[in-house]
Amino acid sequence: MTRFFDSDIFYAFRTSPVAVVSATVTVLMVLAAVFAPLIAPTNPFDPSSLNLMNGFTPPMEPNAFTGDSFLLGTDDQGRDVFSTILYGMRISLFVGVAAVLFAMVLGIFLGLLSGYVGGWTETIIMRAADVQLTFPSILVAMLIFGVAKGVTPVEYRDQMAIWVLILAIGLSDWVQFARVVRGATLVEKSKDYVAAARMIGRSPLTIMVRHILPNVLSPVLVIATISLALAIIAEATLSFLGVGAPPTQPSLGTLIRIGQGFLFSGEWWILFFPACTLLALALAVNLLGDWLRDALNPRLR
Amino acid sequence: MLRYSTALAMMLALPAAAEDFSFAVTTDPQTMDPHAVNSAPVLGFLNNVYEGLVRRGKDMSIEPSLAVSWEPIGEGSGWRFHLREGVKFQDGADFNADDVIFSYQRASSEEADTSSWFAPVSEVVKVDDYTVDIMTTAPNPIFPDSIANWMMMDSGWAEANGAARPDKEQGNFATLNANGTGAFQLVSREPDLKTVLEPYDGWWDTAEHNLTRVEMTPIQNSATALAALLSGDVDFIDPVPIQDVARLKQNPDVQVIQGIEARVIMLGFDQKEGAAESGQGGADMFLDARAREAVAHAINVPAILQTIMRGNAEVASQLVSPAMRGFSKSNAAPYSYDVDAARSLAQEAGLTDQTISFKCPNDRYLNDEAVCQAVTAMLAQAGMTVSLDTMPVSNYWPELRANNFDMYLLGWSPGTLDAEHPIRFLAATPNAEARLGSWNFGGYSNARVDELLPKIQSEIDDTARQSMLDEVAGTLQDEVAYVPLYVQPLVWGARAGIELTQRPDNFFILRWVTVN
Repeated sequence: MTRFFDSDIFYAFRTSPVAVVSATVTVLMVLAAVFAPLIAPTNPFDPSSLNLMNGFTPPMEPNAFTGDSFLLGTDDQGRDVFSTILYGMRISLFVGVAAVLFAMVLGIFLGLLSGYVGGWTETIIMRAADVQLTFPSILVAMLIFGVAKGVTPVEYRDQMAIWVLILAIGLSDWVQFARVVRGATLVEKSKDYVAAARMIGRSPLTIMVRHILPNVLSPVLVIATISLALAIIAEATLSFLGVGAPPTQPSLGTLIRIGQGFLFSGEWWILFFPACTLLALALAVNLLGDWLRDALNPRLR
Repeated sequence: MLRYSTALAMMLALPAAAEDFSFAVTTDPQTMDPHAVNSAPVLGFLNNVYEGLVRRGKDMSIEPSLAVSWEPIGEGSGWRFHLREGVKFQDGADFNADDVIFSYQRASSEEADTSSWFAPVSEVVKVDDYTVDIMTTAPNPIFPDSIANWMMMDSGWAEANGAARPDKEQGNFATLNANGTGAFQLVSREPDLKTVLEPYDGWWDTAEHNLTRVEMTPIQNSATALAALLSGDVDFIDPVPIQDVARLKQNPDVQVIQGIEARVIMLGFDQKEGAAESGQGGADMFLDARAREAVAHAINVPAILQTIMRGNAEVASQLVSPAMRGFSKSNAAPYSYDVDAARSLAQEAGLTDQTISFKCPNDRYLNDEAVCQAVTAMLAQAGMTVSLDTMPVSNYWPELRANNFDMYLLGWSPGTLDAEHPIRFLAATPNAEARLGSWNFGGYSNARVDELLPKIQSEIDDTARQSMLDEVAGTLQDEVAYVPLYVQPLVWGARAGIELTQRPDNFFILRWVTVN
């Protein structure tokens, strides 16, 4: 611990106001999402707890029929917007983190493999990556989502939707990880310590995982942070388009889609608060990623 | 000099030469083939391009179109139609009795979605080039009323292009091209993107409109459509989001045209026996009438109308609205909202241990997705578990035809404005040969209803007819064949200065549009 507080990276963090603020916002939001069931006054994902007559209640004003009052108002179904944001953020963050982890593991594995083994393996993996890069990642995610939805039985669709979303976003995102790791592996491969490890008879797998991987991790960390922001936005985009989270379990994107229909009619709060939350979340994570990239880049120090 | 300036003033006073008109709809017509899909977006749009023997006027009354007159023949054995002479299709071909025979064969073929219109017809006989006899199996007093959407297609054109029969699934030449006799002709068709019409110079009737080019764009999101109207990108939208009506009325640049549509929104159920074995979707949970009744009592329709519809719709009690002919006054009470009754019925029927797969369109009816979500929540409050799946209408009908549902949302607007229409399509036992029950996705079946339907169709005496309609309405209500929810409001928006006519069947007829 002491070592961490004394490190260059912590010093860089401490002296960068942007980093401190964005990290604080991120941590707060993650905490709010994790402890949503404790903080939120209602559970918006439980349809039996909803009262339709509460619909369209403005923030901090009592509903004309039921007299109930909500901090940030309610949406068209009578869901408390504040609770829904907390629960929706949970989905957004969970999908984002899981998708990035999935993309990272897959990307690192394929990147290491193609960088270290080379030859046909490399050609196949990297060309596949090139082909995938020519498609916008949101399109790839929609394709995967559509196929997966088609093959899941109806009864499991709601439960599966989140996992399918993770799979779809993860699969659309592994390419960057693979490319960076492969590049870094190519550099590391020719270094003496790798040759030494090979000389003493370490297996290729051990060399890849134990020796090369730790040395290529810092760019991966940067990409992972920036990818997290992108994955959160990708999830919101898919849900906004109506192909993501099921309508009965709204994520931030779903909330924004619902709210968009009420912009002209003056129910601004349905859109405004979820949109602000998404903006703050994505911005904070992105700024953190930017800062991390600068901090880990020795040339910029 | 004076003469010249008068002439100039007269020229200036003439209406501007180019009246380009563009409008946005939620649902793109699936096809340009008037016999392939029996749905309002398709028929409504194609009414501008194709014409039938008769047509509906501004007040929905039947008036001559391609037939100048008609009269019953024999003792109710059929109808004789005298065709209009000198009518030309948009490709220049003449319209005559052969085209009527061809259009009958085409529209009543097994491949057509419109075949059930011709269930009462035994045969169509050409008397001479401009006289056609349509024979019915039983006396059918409302037959001319029921064929306003039966559109005439040129036999030569269809056969030359390999479109002699409609093709619902794959599509053919007539899916993307059109050749009617109507006021407008199809210039270009890009599905889900843009469809362009231009006035047909050779139209037999005098044009009332002053349009020179019409562009239709489907905009699925109604808020986006509204933005397009407000910014002047389009001149007309259907529908205006119900939540925006109040604000829009205060805007001097736009006009809101409101009415009550003939369309009843309802819930349907999978009632086919053994559907569970056939694979996807339905368990037999809704075979039990108590299960359907549980749903009926669980839904608080007034709350849906109060919030989602903002007080702009009326509760429905049966498959037609009170404005339709044959509405059953003795069955005008809707199902009561009673959560406790719903809960115990659901438990008795074993509905509470199963997940109900609920399918819903998200671009077909006003606020359809929000209504389905509200229904889901209300059923959950009565102890039922619902898995809601919403989708665009282009995926929706195939999903229903593939039987992938336990429960679904449907809107029905009787094309004949008569209570017999939904019985034929929604309540009669599905029978492809007899062309009955073609939209009865759930397979509701009742022998007495099937027995009464032909009698209703041929009954001339209004009182006797009404008592049979009352009986059917009562049976459907008792057995909870469907759960009628509400009558959909009709809300159109147009730029100020545009004159148009709104009909309760929600057809937007371009020949009545003038741009000032």
